[in-house]
Amino acid sequence: MTEAAHAHHDHHHEGLPGTIGHVTPLKTLFKVLTALLVLTVITVAVAQFDFGRLNVVGAVGIACVKASIVSLWFMHLRYDKRFNFFILVGSFALVAWMIGYILFDTVLYQHNIQEYKRDQQAPAKP
Amino acid sequence: MSTGVADHETKHDLPARPPELAMHFDNMHQQFHSGKLGMWLFLGQELLFFCGLFTAYAVYRGNHQEMFHYVHYFLDWKLGAVNTVVLLVSSLTAAWSVRAAMLEQRKVLIFTLLATFICAGIFMVVKYFEYTHKLHIGAVWGGGFNVADADLPAELVAKYPDMTGAKLKEMGAGSFFAIYFCMTGLHGLHVLVGMGLYIWLLVRALKGDFNRRWYGAVDNVALYWHIVDIIWIFLFPMLYLIG
Amino acid sequence: MAGGVVEKPAAHDKPRKHYLNHVKTFGSWLVTLDHKRIAMMYLCAVSFALLLGGVFALALRTVLWNGTPADPETSILGATMEQFYNKMFTLHGAVMVFLFIIPGIPAALGNFILPMQLGAKDLALPRINLLSWYLYVMGLVLFVCVLVLGGLDTGWTLYPPYSMGGGSQSQHVWHSLVLAYMAVFILGFSSILTGLNFIVTMHKLRPPGMGMYDMPLFLWALYATSLIQVLATPVVGITLGLSLIEHMFHVGIFLPQYGGDPVMYQHFFWFYSHPAVYIMILPAMGVQSEIMGTFSRKHIFGYKAIAWSSIAIAAIGFIVWGHHMFVSGQSPTAGIIFSFLTYLVAIPSAIKVFNWVATMYKGSIDLKTPMIYGLNFIYLFGIGGLTGLFLASISNNVHLHDTYFVIAHFHMVMVGSTVNAFLGGVHLWWPKMTGRMYNETLGRIGAILVFVGFNLAFMPQFVSGTRGMPRRYANYLEEFTTFHQASTVGAYILGAGIGLQVLYLLYSLFKGKKAPDNPWGAASLEWQSESPPDFHNFTKPPIMMGAYDYENWEYESEEAGWKLKPEVIETRKTLSKVH
Repeated sequence: MTEAAHAHHDHHHEGLPGTIGHVTPLKTLFKVLTALLVLTVITVAVAQFDFGRLNVVGAVGIACVKASIVSLWFMHLRYDKRFNFFILVGSFALVAWMIGYILFDTVLYQHNIQEYKRDQQAPAKP
Repeated sequence: MSTGVADHETKHDLPARPPELAMHFDNMHQQFHSGKLGMWLFLGQELLFFCGLFTAYAVYRGNHQEMFHYVHYFLDWKLGAVNTVVLLVSSLTAAWSVRAAMLEQRKVLIFTLLATFICAGIFMVVKYFEYTHKLHIGAVWGGGFNVADADLPAELVAKYPDMTGAKLKEMGAGSFFAIYFCMTGLHGLHVLVGMGLYIWLLVRALKGDFNRRWYGAVDNVALYWHIVDIIWIFLFPMLYLIG
Repeated sequence: MAGGVVEKPAAHDKPRKHYLNHVKTFGSWLVTLDHKRIAMMYLCAVSFALLLGGVFALALRTVLWNGTPADPETSILGATMEQFYNKMFTLHGAVMVFLFIIPGIPAALGNFILPMQLGAKDLALPRINLLSWYLYVMGLVLFVCVLVLGGLDTGWTLYPPYSMGGGSQSQHVWHSLVLAYMAVFILGFSSILTGLNFIVTMHKLRPPGMGMYDMPLFLWALYATSLIQVLATPVVGITLGLSLIEHMFHVGIFLPQYGGDPVMYQHFFWFYSHPAVYIMILPAMGVQSEIMGTFSRKHIFGYKAIAWSSIAIAAIGFIVWGHHMFVSGQSPTAGIIFSFLTYLVAIPSAIKVFNWVATMYKGSIDLKTPMIYGLNFIYLFGIGGLTGLFLASISNNVHLHDTYFVIAHFHMVMVGSTVNAFLGGVHLWWPKMTGRMYNETLGRIGAILVFVGFNLAFMPQFVSGTRGMPRRYANYLEEFTTFHQASTVGAYILGAGIGLQVLYLLYSLFKGKKAPDNPWGAASLEWQSESPPDFHNFTKPPIMMGAYDYENWEYESEEAGWKLKPEVIETRKTLSKVH
């Protein structure tokens, strides 16, 4: 049902009759590229200043915006089945969970490693 | 839902069962979207595959902030930026190739596929020069990290005049390069695979294989290419800009 | 014949064409895209892996008959008794996990049954299916090379720093580790591709009129399994890829002497391998749901609860991995959080057991071979699941970690549940897959032998484990002798049970009675096809009906099996989809 409705919808845009999927206008593609290039310049510019711990937040934040633009227009998730969108979002969520939890744990046990290294370097007690 | 599509299709003067339709599918829509869903699941898998490396990056950066800051000067952000632009342009041509295939513009299709391939090639050439330089000065992984003080990057020396190669080694600069080479290496491997896929698409496009209802291969390879681009979008600032 | 619409004329002159004999050349099997043939090849390969892993198990149990250190002069296959034991338990674990349990039910039984339960002609991506099979074969061959090249002694988890490039290892182990990393990496991709294919098939090839809630529960279980296969397996892929690089070039990601972090390896490894134990158990639970309904002749109790508990188990699987690392150097905070999260798994698991028992309640229970396996499953999964709760609590775990208690716990779940369900599933679908009936009496004897042998092998290990018997040791104190010898006897009885099955199943292929289309009165769509099915799966479009509507079928005779009631055929519309 939804597929048929979708196919109908397509015919109002450019495209040959019976085309499967959504044809992205050339203008949109070039707009997307421009946005990505501008964001690249912004990333480089921001990196010239040192915000300490916030550096990584800025860099990854801008990268996330760029990735969203690529996936929504170049990968036409905006016009695609919603399930494909869920796959991408779900995978990203899982990636964030794995990175976050493992980082959390390694930071907590780091002092054990430092203590071990100190013990190794300390002169042997008689 | 598929019967609706079948009804819909008969309205146009297209064969009810095209030769491209595999025997276990009802119509071209079902076949197209099956392939695409498969590709999306594969891309989800790709993200989790890279996830291990991103976690390693986070863990080592989180625990060795200072060292990461010093060592990231070894990477030339100008080369990284050039590669970013090259990959973004190739993403445009990849998306354009899908459009061309849907509109059955054969010449545009061949041109965009070729352009994507060439951009990927430029990316790998730049990567080659970056790698050989690092191997040459001894900026490598693990215990192998041994950089002479004369080979330290100018930007690093300008900011921290008393920095030496030995100090960096002591701080564990090898870990940074282990992660750098693993991440960019795996990404480069994906670029090489993408180049192979684009050659395959070119051959098929030259044979006139694709049409408005049978362009799944172009679409799926483009999706793969975009995910390779997305990964680079993260790698570039993380490695080259903030270290 | 399909759907019992018309009587088949007794045409003895020409054998019916079906998927096994429509083309007979060997080459046609090598390049087949037919899910049924790929499934049969998988079935042979995973059975081989089961027997191989079983032989290793018997070898290590034999070593453990005696607890005292062997005379250092005794050598077995060029190694001391202790070295031999180390290799045996490593290979037993690796072969069983990577080559048997993970692909076992999904790739062999699921591959065959999934499209048929949907009334489809094939999986959505048949070439990906064939690719997955060849990747599996490559992994199998690499593991055989590992075996020939001198084996492994790292344990199946391949933990660094012992595994990767440690200086004390012999050259043989160095090479076989390279091969083992590659093998597991490749097998991982085989598993990913199978899962991906299953998800696409269930989304895109469901016939009109069959919603997600109309699918048999076996498919829900496979769906949950496939989600894990697609999303967790790549992590072990990258882990072992990095391990391989670490092993060969010492890059310093996992090895501490080069600045790496071995605990991070454990995080990575269990991020996959904990969800992977649900790759092992979820399909088994799916088979169990089919068996319980069919042989209680009663609509499955709590359909939606069983369906969603599968998804819940898959989801929770991703947030509990740290309970494998309570004593690894993981921070206590992380340990406590993981301990609490782990308890969550008990809820969906218990929901399932409750529903199976409730399905049997007031059902008309038929103790055929698959049902005996089903009962084994409930009993053993109950014990395996409850002892899991002991291990989830962090303070208990510190005491019980790496003891035989852990061994007994996960064998209760992996063998007691998964292997029982695998065997139950093989017996359930054997008539459909091969067109032959096995000997029912021998089948029951085999199932009982498996049950007795299994309990004798693993019950004593709970006791010796709580008394402090550590795992992975070739020697033990004298006080543990009785427990170990009971285990060894049990292992041999279990082996005899499985050996008996191999014999009568092979015998049935040649001399077994012809199987009717539906010997059990099961109601899911695959039973409306012929036995064995046609190349296109269904010669007549299957009649859409609930997967647990057993009242639509009536018993005719032993030869003809169960038939759809005529009034059902008339009132149901046929599927326009198949033809």
